[in-house]
Amino acid sequence: MHRKRLLINVLKTIAVLAILVWSLFPIFFIVVSSLKAGHDIFAVPTKWFFEPTVQHYQKLVSAWPTFFSSLWNSTVITAGATALAVIASTTAGYVYSRYNSRLLNASIVYLIGVRLIPPIVVTLPLFPIVNWLGINDTHFVLIVLYATFFVSLGTVLMRTFIDQIPRELDEAAAIDGATRSTVLRRVIVPLAAPGIIAVAVFVIVYAWNEFLFAFIFTATRAKTAPLVISEMIGSIDGVDWGVLFAASTLQLLPILLFVVFMNRYLVAGLTAGATKG
Amino acid sequence: MTSHLKLTRRAFLAGTAAVGALSFSGPSFAASKTLNVLSHRVHQTSLGEGDNDALKDWKAANDVEINWTTFDSNPLMDRLFREASLSSTDFSVGYMVDNRPTSEIAKLFEPLGPWQEKDPIEAFDDIAPGLVQGMTIDGNLIGIPVRTATQALFYNEQLLEEAGISAPPATLEELVEKAKKISDSGKATGIILASDLAVFPVMFARAYGGDFINKEFKLLPDKAAMEKALTTLAQMFKDGSLPKSYATTKNDDQVTWMQQGRAAFTVLPFARAAQLNNAEQSKYPGKIKAIGFPASKESTVPMASVVEAWAMVIPANAKDKELAWSFIKEVSSKKNTLAMALNGNGPARVSTFGEAELTAKNPLAAVEAEVLAHARGAFPPFPEAARAQALFLEEVQLAVLGRKSPADAIAAIESRVGPLLPA
Repeated sequence: MHRKRLLINVLKTIAVLAILVWSLFPIFFIVVSSLKAGHDIFAVPTKWFFEPTVQHYQKLVSAWPTFFSSLWNSTVITAGATALAVIASTTAGYVYSRYNSRLLNASIVYLIGVRLIPPIVVTLPLFPIVNWLGINDTHFVLIVLYATFFVSLGTVLMRTFIDQIPRELDEAAAIDGATRSTVLRRVIVPLAAPGIIAVAVFVIVYAWNEFLFAFIFTATRAKTAPLVISEMIGSIDGVDWGVLFAASTLQLLPILLFVVFMNRYLVAGLTAGATKG
Repeated sequence: MTSHLKLTRRAFLAGTAAVGALSFSGPSFAASKTLNVLSHRVHQTSLGEGDNDALKDWKAANDVEINWTTFDSNPLMDRLFREASLSSTDFSVGYMVDNRPTSEIAKLFEPLGPWQEKDPIEAFDDIAPGLVQGMTIDGNLIGIPVRTATQALFYNEQLLEEAGISAPPATLEELVEKAKKISDSGKATGIILASDLAVFPVMFARAYGGDFINKEFKLLPDKAAMEKALTTLAQMFKDGSLPKSYATTKNDDQVTWMQQGRAAFTVLPFARAAQLNNAEQSKYPGKIKAIGFPASKESTVPMASVVEAWAMVIPANAKDKELAWSFIKEVSSKKNTLAMALNGNGPARVSTFGEAELTAKNPLAAVEAEVLAHARGAFPPFPEAARAQALFLEEVQLAVLGRKSPADAIAAIESRVGPLLPA
C-alpha cells in the first residue's frame, strides 16, 4: 500500500515536471537565446554555458526602431480596450445580475453565441466598413474591436461576481437614497473589484498578444508589437534569430510578469461561480 | 467579499481621457505630400536611410515624405490585393511578387504602358526582358521589376576540403556524388533542402531539362526529366545525403544548418550569401560560396534556375498616380538600381551586374548575372497556383521519402494538378 502511494506520487511529480518543462522551456529558450551570440543560438550540441551579450538588443534598437513605437501602440490599445471592456462588462453584468426578464435571459445565450464566432468571419466584412469610416490604422478601431470581442465573456464573469454580493446591500443603499448608478459605483464596483481585475487581466492578455485584427486594421500608426515581430520572421531576407528573440523577450516579459503578479485574480475569474449552489 | 482597491471616479475618467487622447494622436509630417507605399521591409531598407537615402534628392525636389507600410511576403500580398479591391486606397504604390498577377488580379492595377509612353523610365530596355514579360498580363504592363532573387547552389568550402573535395560540382551527378561523400564522412549532412517549397524539385527537374509547369501552362512538359529528378532526390534521401528530417525541413533550417556547418550544400538565393557568411551568425564566415546550380550531364539545354522577382505596381484605385509613377521612375533609375544593389538588392537591370562598384563589393555579381540570363519563375501565375503547388509537393514528398515510386507520383501529379490549370 505504501509502495503504491509512493509510485503514484512519483508519477504525479513526473507529470507536473513534464508539464512545467513543456510550458516553460519555450520561454526559457527565447530569453536565453536573446542573450547568446548569434552563432551559438542553434549550436549543436547546445551551449548551456556562455558569455551573455546584449548585442541583439542593441541591434534591435538600431535596426527595428519601429518595434518600440509598436510596443507603445500595444500599451495604448491594451489600456484602452481594457478600460472599455471593464466598464461595459461591469454595467452589463450588474443588469444581468439584478434584473430578470425573458429577453435578458435569452440575450445571455446570444452573448455567449457571439463569442463562439471565429474572429476571421467578422473581420473581413468589417475591413471595407472600417475603411469607409476612415478609422483604419487608428488605436481607436482596435480598442473598440478588442473590447467588443471580450465584452460577452466579461459580462458573464461579472454577473457571476455580482451575484455573490447580497442584494440587501443594494436595498440598504436605496433606503438611504442612493440611485441605481450610485449603488453601482459606491457599492457594487468596490465589492466586485476582484472580478473587475479578473476581467481586466483576460482583456490585457488578449489585447497584448492579438494578431489578426491588428494585421487587418493597421498599417503604420497603430501597428502593434506582434505585427512587427511577425515581420522579423522575414521570408525574403532571412531571420536574424538573436534580434527576433530579443524582441520576443521584450514583448513577452511585461505580460508574463503581469500574469504572474495577477495570478490569483485569473484563478478567481476562471473559478467564478464554481461553488455556487 | 471585501476589497482595498480604490478606483476613484476622477482617476478613472482622467485615465480614460488620456487613453482616448493618445488613440487619436498620430505622426505629423514636415513635407507637404505623403506617398504611402506598401512593401516588404527589405524594399525599404535597400533604398537606404538618412544620409544614405537613395531617394533624398527626389523627396526634396517633390516635397514628399514616404510612409512605408511593411509586411512579410504573404501578408503583404493579402493586404495589397485587399486595398486594391476597395473603392479607393491611400496606398499609391505596392510591391508585388511575380508569381501572383493572374488576369483577375491584374485588373486591380493601373496599366503602366501609357505612363511609360508619356514619361518614360530611363533605359527601360535594360530591365531584364523576362522580368518585364512576367509583369505583362493580357498585354498590359502592370508592374516595373525592381528586385530579383535568383537561386544558387551554396557550398561550405571548408567542409568540402575536409572531406577531400577540391572543387564544387560541375554537374548534377557530381553534386549527388559529393553530397554522399560528405554524408558518408559523418562530418555533416550532404545537402539540405526545404520540403515545403516547389523551388527545389523544380530545380532538379530543370537540371534534367524538364519542368513542373512551363509558361505555356503545360504540366510536366518532360515527364522523363521529372521522373529522373524525383528518383535522384529519393536516392539522396535513401543514401542519407538529405537529412532524415527532410519532411519537416523549412527554409530557415537551410540557413541555420549551413551557418552551423551541419550541411555542406544548399539551394538559396544569391542574396543570402551575406547572411550565410555573417560572422555574427555563422561558424564559417567567408567559407560559404555560391555557384549556379549545375545541370545534369545528360541535359542538352542550359540550366534554368528559379528566379523570383518583385515589381512596383500602382493600384487602379490609388489617389495620387502621378506621384506614384514619379516614385517608380526614380526607384528604377540606373543610379538607384545600383544603390539598392550595393545594399544587397538583386538588381532587375542587366547593366547593374557589370558596374565596377558592385563587382568590387559583391564577387558573386558576375555569377548571378550569368545564372539570371537563363532563369525563370518556378511556375507561371494562375488562380489555383497555391493549391497546385501544395498537391505537387505532397506527391514529391511521398516519392522522396520512398512511400511512392517516382512514376506513380508523376501520374498523381498529372491527375491532381492537371484540372487546376487554366483552360
